[in-house]
Amino acid sequence: MKLRTIKYFFKESFTSLIRNRWMSLASIGAVASALIIFGSFLLLSVNFDYILKDVESQVEITAYLEDSVDEAGISELNKSIGAIEGVKEVKFISKEDAIEEFKEQVGRELLEGIENPLPNSFRIKVNDPHEVGTVAEKIQRFVGIEEVKYGKGIVEKLFNIIYWMRIIGMVIMAVFAAVSIFIISNTIRLTVFARRREISIMKYIGATDWFVRWPFLIEGMVLGLIGSSLAIGILAVAYNYLFITVKINLPMIALLPIEEFYNYALGFLGIGMLIGAFGSSFSIKRFLKV
Amino acid sequence: MIEMYGVTKIYPGGQVALKDINLKISKGEFVFVVGPSGAGKSTLIKLIFREEVPTRGQIFFAGKNITRLKHREVPYLRRRIGIVFQDFRLLPEKTVYENVAFAMEVVEASTRDIRKKVPQTLERVGLFHKANAKPSELSGGEQQRVALARALVNNPDILVADEPTGNLDPDTSWDIMNYLDDINKRGTTIIVATHARELVDTMKKRVIQLEKGSLVRDEERGAYSK
Repeated sequence: MKLRTIKYFFKESFTSLIRNRWMSLASIGAVASALIIFGSFLLLSVNFDYILKDVESQVEITAYLEDSVDEAGISELNKSIGAIEGVKEVKFISKEDAIEEFKEQVGRELLEGIENPLPNSFRIKVNDPHEVGTVAEKIQRFVGIEEVKYGKGIVEKLFNIIYWMRIIGMVIMAVFAAVSIFIISNTIRLTVFARRREISIMKYIGATDWFVRWPFLIEGMVLGLIGSSLAIGILAVAYNYLFITVKINLPMIALLPIEEFYNYALGFLGIGMLIGAFGSSFSIKRFLKV
Repeated sequence: MIEMYGVTKIYPGGQVALKDINLKISKGEFVFVVGPSGAGKSTLIKLIFREEVPTRGQIFFAGKNITRLKHREVPYLRRRIGIVFQDFRLLPEKTVYENVAFAMEVVEASTRDIRKKVPQTLERVGLFHKANAKPSELSGGEQQRVALARALVNNPDILVADEPTGNLDPDTSWDIMNYLDDINKRGTTIIVATHARELVDTMKKRVIQLEKGSLVRDEERGAYSK
């Protein structure tokens, strides 16, 4: 392809963008609103994921030891637990550590003069939070372990909820992506329809299909790019506001940092461009059969 | 240049547009295709630039069978054919110059060639002084001359015109015919489908007459009717 031809394609697409400015604005609006909706859902689900990952990583097992276990037994158990597949970290909490921690939490004065009722224990972190149940069961079987706690039931339920949330999120996202493509291909179809005369003349003169197609593809991609940039801008401002508001008012909820949001920006531009190109090639197909 | 053997065209609705047409048009000829509306003139023209494909029969263009052309080969056939329509088919938002240059841009000609050939061709149809006008500012005859320039600018082997004077008054029609004759004298084969009895009678060219899809007369230096 000649440079001149490429220049011609760009010139054509930009003149057409400006000539059909209202149509172009409508397309940009369609791309932007579709991507804003799409992006909001994406951010919602990504944040949900992020928060859940945080929760997941906090899932740990506490194994209480029988008082009869001596120091040799403790280090033996420590090794055995550490050797279980999927265990990331084992931390020994002695009776003294436990009471200290407890005193920190409830207040030192309250517990003054009371004999330490707390047992020695291990705190175990696992690689995959989904394996908490099986790991806990294995620990339970060791001699010298009195009780294992990991929020049985609650953890499983939580994972179940996360699973379904993700599936529903993906379905909603797929639906919105399809709707966006539909809106855009329809808007660009209007542009193509307005220029059907030009297309048929080009075909009579001897233009190849690709020669006819390129300006429309570029037009579609430019519309997609502008639309997605607009969406990114609006989402960034809105998300930044949300992030700051949440940080001030609900400090316990850790939202995805705003910097992470920009990682999606490039993907958004790509999606916008693809939607535009896809929409326009979709719309022009019918007019090439002359 | 063009050879047709047993060409029959039946449209999807079952309407028979052409029946068993055999004809040969040589390089440099000027041919009128005449006949009443619905006789198949337009179909014959459309078969040449392959807007339509014959239901039966073969068509050769410069020795190549164009009935077997692949979709992607069609543009290269059309680049060898200049096409003129009754309704001019100019792009209203482009200037006269741009309309003609457009035909060269489409076939990816170089800028240098475009700058050279477009003014030359406009000069040939006597419209160089209107290069910057929009089609809407021109008369019908002038618009058709722009269409002529556009058809000619890529030096086609053949120029086909479907009722080129159908929308024009008699004087202007004469004007267009004279341009076509002039183009023909410089070596371009010309095929004109027309209703214009007076023009055909006066110009004394080869006449191919169609009736209800059949070729009923093929006469050198003929008149519109016998």
